[in-house]
Amino acid sequence: MTSLSDEKSREEAEEVVEPSKATRLSIVWRKLKASKLAVFGFGIIVFMVMVALLAPVIAPYDLRWTGYSSRPPSMEHLFGTDAMGRDMLTLVMYGAQTSLYVGIAAVALEMLIALTIGMISGYFGGIVDEVLMRFTDLILTLPTLPLLLVTVVLFEERSIHILVFVMGIFGWPFMARVVRSEFLTLRETTFVEAARSMGATPWRIILRHILPNILSTIIVIGTMDIPWFIFWEATLTFLGFGDPSAASWGVLLERGYLPARSAWWIITFPGLALFFTSLGFNLFGDGLRDALDVTTRGR
Amino acid sequence: MSKSLLLNINNLKTYFVLAEGVVQAVDGVHLEIGKEEVLGLVGESGCGKSTVALSILRLIRPPGKIVGGEILFEGEDLLRKSEGEMREIRGGKISMVFQNPTSSMNPVYTVGSQIAEAIKLHQDVQKHQIKEKVVEILHKVGIPDPSKRMEDHPHEYSGGMCQRAMTAMALSCNPKLLIADEPTTNLDVTIQAQILDLMRTLRKDFGASILLIGHNLGVIDEFCDKVAVMYAGKVVESSDITTIFKKPKHPYTQALLESIPRLDVEKERLRIIPGTVPRLIDPPAGCRFHPRCEYAMAVCREQEPTLVEIGRGHTVACFLHTSKV
Repeated sequence: MTSLSDEKSREEAEEVVEPSKATRLSIVWRKLKASKLAVFGFGIIVFMVMVALLAPVIAPYDLRWTGYSSRPPSMEHLFGTDAMGRDMLTLVMYGAQTSLYVGIAAVALEMLIALTIGMISGYFGGIVDEVLMRFTDLILTLPTLPLLLVTVVLFEERSIHILVFVMGIFGWPFMARVVRSEFLTLRETTFVEAARSMGATPWRIILRHILPNILSTIIVIGTMDIPWFIFWEATLTFLGFGDPSAASWGVLLERGYLPARSAWWIITFPGLALFFTSLGFNLFGDGLRDALDVTTRGR
Repeated sequence: MSKSLLLNINNLKTYFVLAEGVVQAVDGVHLEIGKEEVLGLVGESGCGKSTVALSILRLIRPPGKIVGGEILFEGEDLLRKSEGEMREIRGGKISMVFQNPTSSMNPVYTVGSQIAEAIKLHQDVQKHQIKEKVVEILHKVGIPDPSKRMEDHPHEYSGGMCQRAMTAMALSCNPKLLIADEPTTNLDVTIQAQILDLMRTLRKDFGASILLIGHNLGVIDEFCDKVAVMYAGKVVESSDITTIFKKPKHPYTQALLESIPRLDVEKERLRIIPGTVPRLIDPPAGCRFHPRCEYAMAVCREQEPTLVEIGRGHTVACFLHTSKV
């Protein structure tokens, strides 16, 4: 077959143009780096994570240290002190620990539930889909805030873990619907049909053939949901349903809103931390969406 | 027939139950494929060719359902097999090549890992041997530099290369029957020829029977031993390749053959078959082709013709050639 050898030489010519093969991850990284906003967002996230991890080392004061109360920002206290005389910078740093934990843990729980329900619903369809989706609708129709408040009250204990749990078990419906719709589309594709024609089992098709194709979508939604959960924790805490012993940004905001008129710094700095973290995750998530698209090539 | 039968489909009926009614996509199809034989299945779009193919592998999904008939493969009825037994057969004994090569592969995995998966699914191969096997089979289907190209993702392959790779995957477990559903439809003409050439070689090397589905009669003519012509969910004529091209009996087969351009016959215009394929929700009574048939008689409107053998291995379902009851 002469035509074959022709193709061979053509392929070899192409090989010269593109000598090294990049791995998937390095392509994603390269595309991510091309977007300035995504890099900025990633920078914020890395900074916040570092602050959270290193808080015991880099915080200027001990968490239990108290001095003069309600002092404005100065050289000794860059973010001022709160009504109880604690250093605000130290509190915001420790707050990053709690808030990031809340966001990440709640998203993990959300993903677990959303993937399970969305995959089963979308792939198997029929009566299973009907039942699961009506259940999802039910949770979506209930107003979030009262639902969260009532559920939190059901627990006797006030702990940050309970907040995470409650937010996780009510936060999944939107993601579950996205997963379901992706599965509905992908289960009809030729490559799934081809996998079936090769004798793959349903679970193999779900986990090995379809799931990796929607991973990028899920990661993007998950990334953007992290600040969403951090916000909800702050809201619940602000309304007095949080864990008062945890130094989350929500707790700081709750303590700061009464003296806010005379001491602006008590509410401003935790607020800014919250704002920038949210901005960081959103920008990064947005860039990630573009970077994870396999079919477009980065420069 | 001297060769023994590999696949024998009898009176297969596959219906789709929709809100508007029941679509009789495949309604009483008979097909026979011998060992190492290539059968071409032709017909217009929507006549049920692909549904036959998917029925053989039992891959019909709701609202579709196989409602009757039998599919004897090596003497055993596939319709009576359990889902687990069918999974063993799919890809192991019967495999399929689809018409969209570029979308038949999972975009997130490398071509090599997908072929490796197919091998692992059906064969007991040592881990270190799998890579060699993948390289070997990619080489066989003519992928240049296989040990390197197997690390590519499908989008880095051209359409023709994807179809080669898909063929490689389908053949990786030495199936007895290869179903090729319009394998060349979305490829350009030179690549089509290459793929057919490839299938011809592989048929010799692997000794597999092939069910080639297509509407391109030129391709069928060149490649198949036998042809079955389908119209509106039924087989209307089947015979060996020379008979059907020289002496087509069914008016639909005749019309179909006259509608392809030929270089050896001078003709002003190509034949056009008037009308369209009937809706299979309420197919015409009697012979399904009668509204478009120029020889339609009274009996055609009332009774359904059955497949009758009129020559050696030549069957036709038409009252013109069978005694009118």
